[in-house]
Amino acid sequence: MSICEIVVASGKGGTGKTFIASNLAYFLAKSNHNVIAIDADVEAPDLLLALGGAKGILWKNEYYGAEVPIIDYKRCMKCWKCIEACKFEALRKGKRGPIVDYNSCEGLGVCGLVCPVDAISFKPRRTGLLYAAYSSLDILVITGELDLGGKNSGRLVYELKRKAYDLGKKLDVGYLIVDAAPGIGCPVISSLVGASLLIIVVEPTPQSIKGAQRLLTLAKLLDIRSVLVLNKYDLNPGYLGKAASLLGVPVLGKIRYDEMVVSAYTSMTPILMLAPGSAVSRELKTTFERLMGLLT
Amino acid sequence: MTIIAVSGGKGGTGKTTIAVNISLILSRVRGHKTLLVDLDVDNPCTYTLLGVSLREVVHVKSFKPEIDELKCTLCGECTRYCPTHALVLIADKLLLLSSLCEGCAACLYVCPTSAIKEGRKVIGWIKEAGKGVLDVIVGEAKPGERKTDDVMEKTLKYALKKLQPYDYVIIDTPPGTSRGIYEALKASDIIVLVTEPTRLGLTDLKRLYSLTRGIGRPIIVAVNKYGLKGGSYRELEDFLSREDLPSVFIPYDNSLLRSYIRGECVIEQQPQAPSAQSLLQLADKINEIEIKIKKKGLF
Repeated sequence: MSICEIVVASGKGGTGKTFIASNLAYFLAKSNHNVIAIDADVEAPDLLLALGGAKGILWKNEYYGAEVPIIDYKRCMKCWKCIEACKFEALRKGKRGPIVDYNSCEGLGVCGLVCPVDAISFKPRRTGLLYAAYSSLDILVITGELDLGGKNSGRLVYELKRKAYDLGKKLDVGYLIVDAAPGIGCPVISSLVGASLLIIVVEPTPQSIKGAQRLLTLAKLLDIRSVLVLNKYDLNPGYLGKAASLLGVPVLGKIRYDEMVVSAYTSMTPILMLAPGSAVSRELKTTFERLMGLLT
Repeated sequence: MTIIAVSGGKGGTGKTTIAVNISLILSRVRGHKTLLVDLDVDNPCTYTLLGVSLREVVHVKSFKPEIDELKCTLCGECTRYCPTHALVLIADKLLLLSSLCEGCAACLYVCPTSAIKEGRKVIGWIKEAGKGVLDVIVGEAKPGERKTDDVMEKTLKYALKKLQPYDYVIIDTPPGTSRGIYEALKASDIIVLVTEPTRLGLTDLKRLYSLTRGIGRPIIVAVNKYGLKGGSYRELEDFLSREDLPSVFIPYDNSLLRSYIRGECVIEQQPQAPSAQSLLQLADKINEIEIKIKKKGLF
Protein backbone atom coordinates (compact mmCIF):
# COMPACT_ATOMS: atom_id res chain seq x y z
CA MET A 1 0.00 0.00 0.00
CA SER A 2 1.30 3.43 -0.83
CA ILE A 3 1.66 5.98 1.94
CA CYS A 4 -0.95 8.73 2.17
CA GLU A 5 0.64 12.03 3.13
CA ILE A 6 -1.68 14.60 4.68
CA VAL A 7 -0.31 18.10 5.29
CA VAL A 8 -1.91 20.44 7.82
CA ALA A 9 -1.03 24.07 7.04
CA SER A 10 -2.53 27.52 7.35
CA GLY A 11 -0.86 30.58 5.83
CA LYS A 12 -1.36 32.46 9.10
CA GLY A 13 0.15 31.29 12.38
CA GLY A 14 -1.84 30.23 15.42
CA THR A 15 -5.00 29.06 13.67
CA GLY A 16 -4.74 25.52 15.03
CA LYS A 17 -2.41 23.46 12.82
CA THR A 18 -0.80 21.55 15.67
CA PHE A 19 -4.22 21.13 17.29
CA ILE A 20 -5.67 19.48 14.17
CA ALA A 21 -2.50 17.51 13.30
CA SER A 22 -2.03 16.07 16.81
CA ASN A 23 -5.66 15.06 17.15
CA LEU A 24 -5.72 13.59 13.64
CA ALA A 25 -2.63 11.49 14.36
CA TYR A 26 -4.20 10.33 17.63
CA PHE A 27 -7.52 9.57 15.89
CA LEU A 28 -5.82 7.48 13.21
CA ALA A 29 -3.67 5.60 15.73
CA LYS A 30 -6.76 4.84 17.83
CA SER A 31 -8.52 3.59 14.70
CA ASN A 32 -5.73 1.03 14.29
CA HIS A 33 -3.94 2.78 11.47
CA ASN A 34 -0.19 2.81 11.30
CA VAL A 35 0.77 6.50 11.51
CA ILE A 36 3.85 8.69 11.57
CA ALA A 37 3.42 12.31 12.65
CA ILE A 38 5.96 14.74 11.19
CA ASP A 39 6.63 18.12 12.75
CA ALA A 40 7.67 20.28 9.80
CA ASP A 41 7.55 23.52 11.80
CA VAL A 42 11.26 23.26 12.52
CA GLU A 43 11.53 26.80 13.89
CA ALA A 44 8.89 26.13 16.54
CA PRO A 45 8.45 22.37 16.86
CA ASP A 46 5.60 21.48 19.25
CA LEU A 47 3.92 18.39 17.81
CA LEU A 48 5.72 15.91 20.07
CA LEU A 49 4.61 17.94 23.10
CA ALA A 50 1.03 17.96 21.89
CA LEU A 51 1.19 14.17 21.61
CA GLY A 52 2.35 13.64 25.16
CA GLY A 53 6.09 14.35 24.99
CA ALA A 54 8.87 11.90 24.15
CA LYS A 55 8.76 8.48 25.77
CA GLY A 56 11.76 7.06 23.97
CA ILE A 57 14.03 8.50 21.32
CA LEU A 58 14.51 6.11 18.40
CA TRP A 59 17.39 8.00 16.84
CA LYS A 60 18.76 11.51 16.82
CA ASN A 61 20.97 12.94 14.07
CA GLU A 62 22.64 16.20 13.38
CA TYR A 63 21.64 17.59 10.02
CA TYR A 64 24.24 19.02 7.68
CA GLY A 65 22.13 21.01 5.27
CA ALA A 66 24.74 23.14 3.53
CA GLU A 67 28.13 22.74 1.91
CA VAL A 68 30.15 25.84 2.68
CA PRO A 69 33.28 26.86 0.79
CA ILE A 70 36.85 26.84 2.12
CA ILE A 71 39.26 28.91 0.06
CA ASP A 72 42.77 27.64 -0.66
CA TYR A 73 44.59 30.97 -0.88
CA LYS A 74 47.75 29.34 -2.21
CA ARG A 75 45.92 28.19 -5.30
CA CYS A 76 43.62 31.19 -5.73
CA MET A 77 44.71 33.46 -8.56
CA LYS A 78 42.21 36.18 -7.72
CA CYS A 79 40.22 35.97 -10.95
CA TRP A 80 37.10 36.76 -8.81
CA LYS A 81 34.91 34.53 -10.96
CA CYS A 82 33.43 33.10 -7.75
CA ILE A 83 32.37 36.57 -6.60
CA GLU A 84 30.67 37.23 -9.93
CA ALA A 85 28.91 33.88 -9.89
CA CYS A 86 27.56 33.95 -6.31
CA LYS A 87 23.95 35.12 -6.43
CA PHE A 88 23.81 35.61 -2.68
CA GLU A 89 26.61 38.15 -2.31
CA ALA A 90 28.38 35.81 0.09
CA LEU A 91 31.88 36.45 -1.28
CA ARG A 92 33.90 39.64 -1.38
CA LYS A 93 37.39 40.63 -2.43
CA GLY A 94 40.16 40.24 0.11
CA LYS A 95 43.92 40.68 -0.01
CA ARG A 96 44.74 37.01 -0.45
CA GLY A 97 41.58 36.08 -2.34
CA PRO A 98 37.82 35.94 -1.77
CA ILE A 99 36.45 36.19 1.77
CA VAL A 100 33.35 34.15 2.58
CA ASP A 101 30.43 35.66 4.51
CA TYR A 102 29.09 32.45 5.99
CA ASN A 103 25.90 34.18 7.17
CA SER A 104 24.91 34.94 3.59
CA CYS A 105 26.21 31.71 2.07
CA GLU A 106 23.40 29.38 0.98
CA GLY A 107 25.78 26.43 0.65
CA LEU A 108 24.84 25.52 -2.91
CA GLY A 109 28.39 25.29 -4.24
CA VAL A 110 28.35 27.49 -7.34
CA CYS A 111 31.64 29.21 -6.39
CA GLY A 112 33.39 25.84 -6.57
CA LEU A 113 31.83 25.13 -9.96
CA VAL A 114 33.24 28.26 -11.55
CA CYS A 115 36.70 28.29 -9.94
CA PRO A 116 39.18 27.54 -12.75
CA VAL A 117 42.02 26.41 -10.43
CA ASP A 118 40.17 24.24 -7.90
CA ALA A 119 40.95 26.61 -5.07
CA ILE A 120 37.58 26.06 -3.41
CA SER A 121 36.71 22.95 -1.44
CA PHE A 122 33.63 22.37 0.69
CA LYS A 123 32.81 21.30 4.16
CA PRO A 124 29.38 20.32 5.41
CA ARG A 125 27.76 22.77 7.83
CA ARG A 126 25.33 21.73 10.53
CA THR A 127 21.99 23.48 10.17
CA GLY A 128 19.83 21.54 12.57
CA LEU A 129 18.84 18.39 14.35
CA LEU A 130 16.37 15.69 13.50
CA TYR A 131 15.06 12.84 15.56
CA ALA A 132 12.41 10.17 15.76
CA ALA A 133 10.66 9.42 19.01
CA TYR A 134 7.70 7.51 20.31
CA SER A 135 5.45 9.88 22.20
CA SER A 136 4.10 8.80 25.55
CA LEU A 137 0.89 7.95 23.65
CA ASP A 138 2.92 5.51 21.51
CA ILE A 139 2.66 7.60 18.38
CA LEU A 140 5.78 7.72 16.24
CA VAL A 141 6.85 11.33 15.69
CA ILE A 142 9.63 12.54 13.40
CA THR A 143 10.65 16.02 14.32
CA GLY A 144 13.44 18.46 13.67
CA GLU A 145 14.85 21.71 14.90
CA LEU A 146 16.51 24.30 12.74
CA ASP A 147 19.52 25.72 14.55
CA LEU A 148 18.64 29.12 16.02
CA GLY A 149 19.16 31.91 13.51
CA GLY A 150 19.51 29.34 10.76
CA LYS A 151 18.48 29.35 7.11
CA ASN A 152 16.89 26.99 4.64
CA SER A 153 14.43 25.22 6.87
CA GLY A 154 12.97 23.76 3.65
CA ARG A 155 15.94 21.45 3.17
CA LEU A 156 15.56 20.16 6.72
CA VAL A 157 11.87 19.52 6.05
CA TYR A 158 12.73 17.50 2.92
CA GLU A 159 15.12 15.44 5.03
CA LEU A 160 12.44 14.87 7.71
CA LYS A 161 10.04 13.66 5.05
CA ARG A 162 12.65 11.43 3.44
CA LYS A 163 13.36 9.79 6.81
CA ALA A 164 9.63 9.41 7.44
CA TYR A 165 9.11 7.67 4.09
CA ASP A 166 12.07 5.33 4.72
CA LEU A 167 10.78 4.43 8.16
CA GLY A 168 7.20 4.33 6.90
CA LYS A 169 8.01 1.71 4.28
CA LYS A 170 9.81 -0.45 6.82
CA LEU A 171 6.98 -0.22 9.33
CA ASP A 172 4.18 -0.51 6.78
CA VAL A 173 2.80 2.91 7.66
CA GLY A 174 -0.44 4.02 6.00
CA TYR A 175 -0.51 7.71 6.90
CA LEU A 176 1.99 10.50 7.31
CA ILE A 177 0.56 13.53 9.07
CA VAL A 178 2.65 16.63 8.44
CA ASP A 179 2.25 19.60 10.79
CA ALA A 180 3.56 22.42 8.57
CA ALA A 181 5.15 25.73 9.48
CA PRO A 182 3.03 28.88 9.28
CA GLY A 183 3.24 30.85 6.05
CA ILE A 184 3.79 29.95 2.43
CA GLY A 185 7.59 29.96 2.20
CA CYS A 186 10.39 27.46 1.77
CA PRO A 187 9.47 25.01 4.59
CA VAL A 188 5.81 24.96 3.56
CA ILE A 189 6.69 24.30 -0.08
CA SER A 190 8.86 21.37 1.07
CA SER A 191 5.97 20.08 3.18
CA LEU A 192 3.58 20.23 0.24
CA VAL A 193 5.73 18.69 -2.50
CA GLY A 194 4.52 15.11 -2.95
CA ALA A 195 1.59 15.38 -0.54
CA SER A 196 -1.70 13.58 -1.16
CA LEU A 197 -3.92 16.14 0.53
CA LEU A 198 -3.69 19.57 2.14
CA ILE A 199 -5.86 20.52 5.09
CA ILE A 200 -6.01 24.31 5.37
CA VAL A 201 -6.89 25.36 8.91
CA VAL A 202 -8.66 28.73 9.02
CA GLU A 203 -10.16 30.75 11.82
CA PRO A 204 -12.93 33.27 11.16
CA THR A 205 -10.78 36.40 10.79
CA PRO A 206 -9.83 38.42 7.70
CA GLN A 207 -6.13 37.84 8.51
CA SER A 208 -6.56 34.07 8.46
CA ILE A 209 -8.63 34.08 5.26
CA LYS A 210 -5.98 36.17 3.56
CA GLY A 211 -3.26 33.72 4.64
CA ALA A 212 -5.38 30.80 3.44
CA GLN A 213 -5.88 32.44 0.04
CA ARG A 214 -2.12 32.80 -0.34
CA LEU A 215 -1.58 29.19 0.71
CA LEU A 216 -4.20 28.05 -1.75
CA THR A 217 -2.45 29.88 -4.59
CA LEU A 218 0.65 27.86 -3.71
CA ALA A 219 -1.28 24.58 -3.46
CA LYS A 220 -2.79 25.17 -6.91
CA LEU A 221 0.64 25.82 -8.40
CA LEU A 222 1.81 22.52 -6.92
CA ASP A 223 -1.43 20.82 -7.97
CA ILE A 224 -2.35 19.57 -4.51
CA ARG A 225 -5.89 18.75 -3.53
CA SER A 226 -7.06 20.99 -0.69
CA VAL A 227 -9.84 20.97 1.88
CA LEU A 228 -10.74 23.44 4.64
CA VAL A 229 -11.17 23.01 8.35
CA LEU A 230 -12.93 25.99 9.94
CA ASN A 231 -11.49 26.20 13.43
CA LYS A 232 -13.00 28.31 16.25
CA TYR A 233 -15.94 28.96 13.88
CA ASP A 234 -18.28 30.05 16.67
CA LEU A 235 -16.13 33.09 17.47
CA ASN A 236 -17.60 34.66 14.34
CA PRO A 237 -20.33 32.44 12.89
CA GLY A 238 -21.20 34.92 10.17
CA TYR A 239 -17.80 34.38 8.65
CA LEU A 240 -18.28 30.66 7.98
CA GLY A 241 -19.99 30.85 4.64
CA LYS A 242 -17.88 33.82 3.65
CA ALA A 243 -14.64 31.91 4.26
CA ALA A 244 -15.80 28.90 2.30
CA SER A 245 -17.03 30.93 -0.66
CA LEU A 246 -13.98 33.21 -0.69
CA LEU A 247 -11.68 30.24 -0.83
CA GLY A 248 -13.82 28.02 -3.06
CA VAL A 249 -12.52 24.84 -1.44
CA PRO A 250 -14.65 22.03 0.05
CA VAL A 251 -15.19 22.34 3.80
CA LEU A 252 -14.12 19.16 5.56
CA GLY A 253 -15.41 20.22 8.93
CA LYS A 254 -15.90 22.95 11.48
CA ILE A 255 -14.58 22.91 15.02
CA ARG A 256 -15.82 25.18 17.78
CA TYR A 257 -13.64 27.18 20.14
CA ASP A 258 -13.17 25.58 23.51
CA GLU A 259 -10.86 26.79 26.25
CA MET A 260 -10.28 23.14 27.11
CA VAL A 261 -7.91 23.05 24.14
CA VAL A 262 -5.54 25.21 26.23
CA SER A 263 -5.73 22.73 29.14
CA ALA A 264 -5.11 19.90 26.68
CA TYR A 265 -1.78 21.48 25.73
CA THR A 266 -0.93 22.19 29.37
CA SER A 267 -1.46 18.52 30.18
CA MET A 268 0.13 17.41 26.87
CA THR A 269 -2.92 15.33 25.95
CA PRO A 270 -4.90 15.55 22.70
CA ILE A 271 -8.41 16.79 23.43
CA LEU A 272 -9.85 13.62 21.84
CA MET A 273 -8.26 11.73 24.72
CA LEU A 274 -8.75 14.34 27.45
CA ALA A 275 -12.43 14.98 26.78
CA PRO A 276 -13.72 12.44 24.26
CA GLY A 277 -17.37 13.26 24.91
CA SER A 278 -17.05 17.05 24.55
CA ALA A 279 -18.66 18.91 21.68
CA VAL A 280 -15.28 19.91 20.28
CA SER A 281 -14.14 16.25 20.27
CA ARG A 282 -17.35 15.17 18.54
CA GLU A 283 -16.76 17.78 15.86
CA LEU A 284 -13.17 16.64 15.43
CA LYS A 285 -14.29 13.02 15.04
CA THR A 286 -16.93 13.92 12.47
CA THR A 287 -14.31 15.89 10.54
CA PHE A 288 -11.79 13.07 10.59
CA GLU A 289 -14.39 10.45 9.64
CA ARG A 290 -15.30 12.58 6.65
CA LEU A 291 -11.61 12.76 5.80
CA MET A 292 -11.38 8.98 5.83
CA GLY A 293 -14.36 8.82 3.51
CA LEU A 294 -12.66 11.26 1.18
CA LEU A 295 -9.47 9.24 1.02
CA THR A 296 -10.96 5.82 0.38
CA MET B 1 15.05 57.51 17.08
CA THR B 2 14.26 54.18 18.69
CA ILE B 3 13.78 50.87 16.85
CA ILE B 4 11.49 48.34 18.50
CA ALA B 5 11.23 44.78 17.16
CA VAL B 6 8.15 42.70 17.92
CA SER B 7 8.72 38.96 17.71
CA GLY B 8 7.68 35.83 19.58
CA GLY B 9 8.49 32.43 18.10
CA LYS B 10 5.03 30.93 17.90
CA GLY B 11 2.50 31.99 15.28
CA GLY B 12 -0.77 33.62 16.26
CA THR B 13 0.31 34.88 19.68
CA GLY B 14 -0.46 38.50 18.75
CA LYS B 15 2.73 39.95 17.30
CA THR B 16 0.94 41.91 14.60
CA THR B 17 -1.88 42.99 16.91
CA ILE B 18 0.66 44.39 19.37
CA ALA B 19 2.92 45.94 16.73
CA VAL B 20 0.00 47.76 15.11
CA ASN B 21 -1.55 48.95 18.37
CA ILE B 22 1.80 50.17 19.74
CA SER B 23 2.43 52.01 16.45
CA LEU B 24 -0.96 53.71 16.77
CA ILE B 25 -0.30 54.67 20.38
CA LEU B 26 3.10 56.15 19.59
CA SER B 27 1.87 57.98 16.49
CA ARG B 28 -1.76 59.00 16.79
CA VAL B 29 -2.10 59.07 20.57
CA ARG B 30 1.29 60.51 21.48
CA GLY B 31 2.12 62.37 18.28
CA HIS B 32 5.49 60.81 17.42
CA LYS B 33 6.51 60.33 13.82
CA THR B 34 6.40 56.54 13.48
CA LEU B 35 7.30 53.92 10.87
CA LEU B 36 5.84 50.41 11.02
CA VAL B 37 7.81 47.76 9.11
CA ASP B 38 5.98 44.52 8.32
CA LEU B 39 8.43 41.66 7.75
CA ASP B 40 5.84 38.88 7.86
CA VAL B 41 6.19 38.55 4.12
CA ASP B 42 4.31 35.23 3.94
CA ASN B 43 1.11 36.86 5.17
CA PRO B 44 1.51 40.58 5.92
CA CYS B 45 -1.52 41.89 7.81
CA THR B 46 -0.47 45.20 9.38
CA TYR B 47 -1.82 47.28 6.54
CA THR B 48 -5.18 45.52 6.47
CA LEU B 49 -5.55 46.10 10.23
CA LEU B 50 -4.73 49.77 9.67
CA GLY B 51 -7.01 49.94 6.66
CA VAL B 52 -4.46 51.62 4.40
CA SER B 53 -3.77 50.84 0.77
CA LEU B 54 -0.21 50.29 -0.37
CA ARG B 55 1.80 51.31 -3.38
CA GLU B 56 4.53 49.10 -4.79
CA VAL B 57 7.97 50.66 -4.55
CA VAL B 58 10.35 47.75 -5.24
CA HIS B 59 10.09 44.48 -7.13
CA VAL B 60 12.29 41.95 -5.32
CA LYS B 61 13.89 39.74 -7.93
CA SER B 62 15.94 36.60 -8.10
CA PHE B 63 17.83 34.66 -10.77
CA LYS B 64 15.78 32.39 -12.97
CA PRO B 65 17.19 30.11 -15.67
CA GLU B 66 15.79 30.77 -19.13
CA ILE B 67 16.06 27.71 -21.33
CA ASP B 68 16.78 28.15 -25.05
CA GLU B 69 15.15 25.04 -26.47
CA LEU B 70 16.93 25.43 -29.80
CA LYS B 71 20.34 25.23 -28.16
CA CYS B 72 19.46 22.61 -25.52
CA THR B 73 20.72 19.15 -26.48
CA LEU B 74 18.95 17.48 -23.53
CA CYS B 75 22.31 16.28 -22.23
CA GLY B 76 21.05 16.57 -18.63
CA GLU B 77 24.21 18.20 -17.28
CA CYS B 78 22.18 20.95 -15.54
CA THR B 79 19.81 18.42 -13.94
CA ARG B 80 22.80 16.62 -12.41
CA TYR B 81 24.31 19.81 -11.00
CA CYS B 82 21.15 21.56 -9.79
CA PRO B 83 21.53 21.28 -6.00
CA THR B 84 17.78 21.63 -5.37
CA HIS B 85 16.58 19.33 -8.21
CA ALA B 86 14.60 22.12 -9.81
CA LEU B 87 15.52 21.08 -13.35
CA VAL B 88 14.20 17.80 -14.73
CA LEU B 89 14.29 16.03 -18.07
CA ILE B 90 10.89 14.66 -19.00
CA ALA B 91 10.62 12.88 -22.34
CA ASP B 92 12.16 15.33 -24.77
CA LYS B 93 11.88 18.46 -22.71
CA LEU B 94 13.90 20.20 -20.01
CA LEU B 95 11.55 21.51 -17.34
CA LEU B 96 12.10 24.08 -14.60
CA LEU B 97 10.17 23.43 -11.38
CA SER B 98 10.04 27.01 -10.24
CA SER B 99 9.00 26.28 -6.65
CA LEU B 100 12.16 24.25 -6.09
CA CYS B 101 14.60 26.72 -7.65
CA GLU B 102 16.66 28.69 -5.14
CA GLY B 103 18.24 30.83 -7.85
CA CYS B 104 21.87 29.76 -7.41
CA ALA B 105 22.55 29.71 -11.19
CA ALA B 106 24.67 26.53 -11.17
CA CYS B 107 22.85 25.51 -14.38
CA LEU B 108 24.10 28.64 -16.12
CA TYR B 109 27.72 27.58 -15.62
CA VAL B 110 27.52 23.87 -16.34
CA CYS B 111 25.52 23.96 -19.59
CA PRO B 112 27.98 22.98 -22.35
CA THR B 113 25.93 24.58 -25.14
CA SER B 114 25.02 27.89 -23.45
CA ALA B 115 21.36 26.96 -23.68
CA ILE B 116 20.63 28.54 -20.31
CA LYS B 117 20.43 32.30 -20.10
CA GLU B 118 20.32 34.59 -17.11
CA GLY B 119 16.70 35.54 -16.50
CA ARG B 120 15.06 37.34 -13.60
CA LYS B 121 11.84 36.65 -11.82
CA VAL B 122 9.86 38.63 -9.27
CA ILE B 123 9.76 36.82 -5.91
CA GLY B 124 8.05 39.59 -3.97
CA TRP B 125 7.42 43.26 -3.48
CA ILE B 126 8.23 46.04 -1.08
CA LYS B 127 5.25 48.33 -0.61
CA GLU B 128 4.64 51.56 1.25
CA ALA B 129 1.81 53.59 2.67
CA GLY B 130 1.75 56.90 4.46
CA LYS B 131 -1.06 57.73 6.81
CA GLY B 132 -0.38 61.08 8.39
CA VAL B 133 1.88 60.55 11.35
CA LEU B 134 2.22 56.80 10.77
CA ASP B 135 4.00 55.36 7.71
CA VAL B 136 4.15 51.69 6.77
CA ILE B 137 6.68 49.60 4.83
CA VAL B 138 5.49 46.11 3.97
CA GLY B 139 7.34 43.16 2.45
CA GLU B 140 5.18 40.70 0.56
CA ALA B 141 6.32 37.41 -0.93
CA LYS B 142 4.82 36.15 -4.18
CA PRO B 143 2.98 32.87 -3.46
CA GLY B 144 4.81 29.91 -4.97
CA GLU B 145 8.26 31.41 -4.57
CA ARG B 146 10.62 29.64 -2.26
CA LYS B 147 12.91 32.40 -1.11
CA THR B 148 10.52 34.37 1.05
CA ASP B 149 13.44 34.87 3.49
CA ASP B 150 15.11 36.97 0.81
CA VAL B 151 12.07 39.21 0.53
CA MET B 152 12.16 39.67 4.30
CA GLU B 153 15.86 40.54 4.39
CA LYS B 154 15.56 42.93 1.45
CA THR B 155 12.57 44.66 3.05
CA LEU B 156 14.55 45.08 6.27
CA LYS B 157 17.53 46.53 4.40
CA TYR B 158 15.25 48.88 2.48
CA ALA B 159 13.55 50.06 5.68
CA LEU B 160 16.83 50.59 7.54
CA LYS B 161 17.81 53.15 4.91
CA LYS B 162 14.63 55.16 5.50
CA LEU B 163 14.82 55.67 9.25
CA GLN B 164 15.96 59.24 9.33
CA PRO B 165 12.67 61.17 9.69
CA TYR B 166 11.18 58.96 12.40
CA ASP B 167 11.02 59.08 16.19
CA TYR B 168 10.01 55.42 16.36
CA VAL B 169 10.36 52.42 14.08
CA ILE B 170 8.35 49.30 14.92
CA ILE B 171 9.39 46.08 13.19
CA ASP B 172 6.80 43.29 13.07
CA THR B 173 8.49 39.93 12.43
CA PRO B 174 7.09 36.60 11.25
CA PRO B 175 6.92 33.60 13.59
CA GLY B 176 10.03 31.46 13.92
CA THR B 177 13.72 31.80 14.72
CA SER B 178 15.26 32.21 11.27
CA ARG B 179 18.24 34.25 10.13
CA GLY B 180 15.98 37.05 8.85
CA ILE B 181 14.35 37.41 12.27
CA TYR B 182 17.75 37.43 13.93
CA GLU B 183 18.86 40.28 11.65
CA ALA B 184 15.73 42.27 12.49
CA LEU B 185 16.24 41.79 16.24
CA LYS B 186 19.89 42.78 15.92
CA ALA B 187 18.94 46.00 14.14
CA SER B 188 16.67 47.03 17.03
CA ASP B 189 17.18 48.96 20.29
CA ILE B 190 14.41 47.24 22.24
CA ILE B 191 12.88 43.81 21.67
CA VAL B 192 9.30 42.94 22.57
CA LEU B 193 8.70 39.19 22.73
CA VAL B 194 5.02 38.33 22.46
CA THR B 195 3.75 35.09 23.92
CA GLU B 196 0.55 33.53 25.22
CA PRO B 197 0.09 31.57 28.44
CA THR B 198 -0.01 28.19 26.69
CA ARG B 199 2.56 25.44 26.77
CA LEU B 200 3.31 25.90 23.09
CA GLY B 201 3.64 29.68 23.46
CA LEU B 202 6.12 29.22 26.29
CA THR B 203 8.16 26.52 24.52
CA ASP B 204 8.56 28.71 21.43
CA LEU B 205 9.25 31.81 23.52
CA LYS B 206 12.14 30.01 25.25
CA ARG B 207 13.62 28.99 21.89
CA LEU B 208 13.48 32.52 20.57
CA TYR B 209 14.78 33.90 23.87
CA SER B 210 17.94 31.77 23.55
CA LEU B 211 18.52 33.45 20.21
CA THR B 212 17.63 36.93 21.47
CA ARG B 213 19.65 36.88 24.69
CA GLY B 214 22.92 36.82 22.78
CA ILE B 215 22.05 40.04 20.97
CA GLY B 216 22.24 41.99 24.21
CA ARG B 217 19.24 44.31 23.77
CA PRO B 218 16.70 45.03 26.49
CA ILE B 219 13.74 42.66 26.25
CA ILE B 220 10.13 43.12 27.31
CA VAL B 221 7.85 40.09 27.34
CA ALA B 222 4.24 40.83 26.39
CA VAL B 223 1.97 38.03 27.60
CA ASN B 224 -1.06 38.24 25.35
CA LYS B 225 -4.39 36.44 25.96
CA TYR B 226 -3.69 36.66 29.68
CA GLY B 227 -6.47 34.98 31.59
CA LEU B 228 -7.01 32.07 29.18
CA LYS B 229 -8.28 29.23 31.34
CA GLY B 230 -6.09 26.18 31.83
CA GLY B 231 -2.92 27.91 30.66
CA SER B 232 0.63 27.09 31.73
CA TYR B 233 0.83 30.05 34.14
CA ARG B 234 3.21 28.65 36.72
CA GLU B 235 5.81 27.62 34.16
CA LEU B 236 5.52 31.01 32.47
CA GLU B 237 5.90 32.94 35.73
CA ASP B 238 8.86 30.76 36.75
CA PHE B 239 10.54 31.53 33.46
CA LEU B 240 9.91 35.29 33.67
CA SER B 241 11.23 35.54 37.22
CA ARG B 242 14.21 33.25 36.63
CA GLU B 243 15.33 35.33 33.66
CA ASP B 244 14.30 38.54 35.42
CA LEU B 245 12.37 39.78 32.40
CA PRO B 246 10.12 42.83 32.55
CA SER B 247 6.65 41.86 31.41
CA VAL B 248 3.26 43.28 30.53
CA PHE B 249 0.08 41.22 30.67
CA ILE B 250 -2.60 41.85 28.07
CA PRO B 251 -5.98 40.47 29.13
CA TYR B 252 -8.04 38.48 26.68
CA ASP B 253 -11.11 40.67 26.92
CA ASN B 254 -14.05 40.81 24.55
CA SER B 255 -12.94 44.13 23.08
CA LEU B 256 -9.60 42.72 21.99
CA LEU B 257 -11.18 39.54 20.67
CA ARG B 258 -13.86 41.48 18.77
CA SER B 259 -11.29 43.80 17.18
CA TYR B 260 -9.12 40.84 16.23
CA ILE B 261 -11.97 38.99 14.59
CA ARG B 262 -13.05 42.04 12.65
CA GLY B 263 -9.52 42.91 11.61
CA GLU B 264 -9.50 46.18 13.54
CA CYS B 265 -7.35 47.80 16.24
CA VAL B 266 -8.58 47.76 19.83
CA ILE B 267 -6.81 51.00 20.73
CA GLU B 268 -9.01 52.82 18.20
CA GLN B 269 -12.24 50.85 18.68
CA GLN B 270 -12.30 50.49 22.48
CA PRO B 271 -9.55 52.66 24.02
CA GLN B 272 -11.05 52.24 27.50
CA ALA B 273 -10.96 48.42 27.43
CA PRO B 274 -8.56 46.71 29.87
CA SER B 275 -6.62 45.24 26.92
CA ALA B 276 -6.18 48.69 25.37
CA GLN B 277 -5.04 50.07 28.74
CA SER B 278 -2.42 47.32 29.04
CA LEU B 279 -1.17 48.16 25.56
CA LEU B 280 -0.70 51.75 26.80
CA GLN B 281 1.28 50.27 29.72
CA LEU B 282 3.46 48.43 27.24
CA ALA B 283 4.15 51.73 25.46
CA ASP B 284 5.05 53.28 28.85
CA LYS B 285 7.40 50.41 29.60
CA ILE B 286 9.10 50.97 26.27
CA ASN B 287 9.55 54.64 27.19
CA GLU B 288 11.01 53.73 30.60
CA ILE B 289 13.60 51.53 28.96
CA GLU B 290 14.41 54.22 26.41
CA ILE B 291 15.10 56.67 29.24
CA LYS B 292 17.33 54.10 30.95
CA ILE B 293 19.26 53.53 27.74
CA LYS B 294 19.81 57.27 27.26
CA LYS B 295 20.69 58.02 30.89
CA LYS B 296 23.05 55.25 31.73
CA GLY B 297 24.23 54.35 28.28
CA LEU B 298 23.15 50.89 29.35
CA PHE B 299 22.91 48.00 26.89
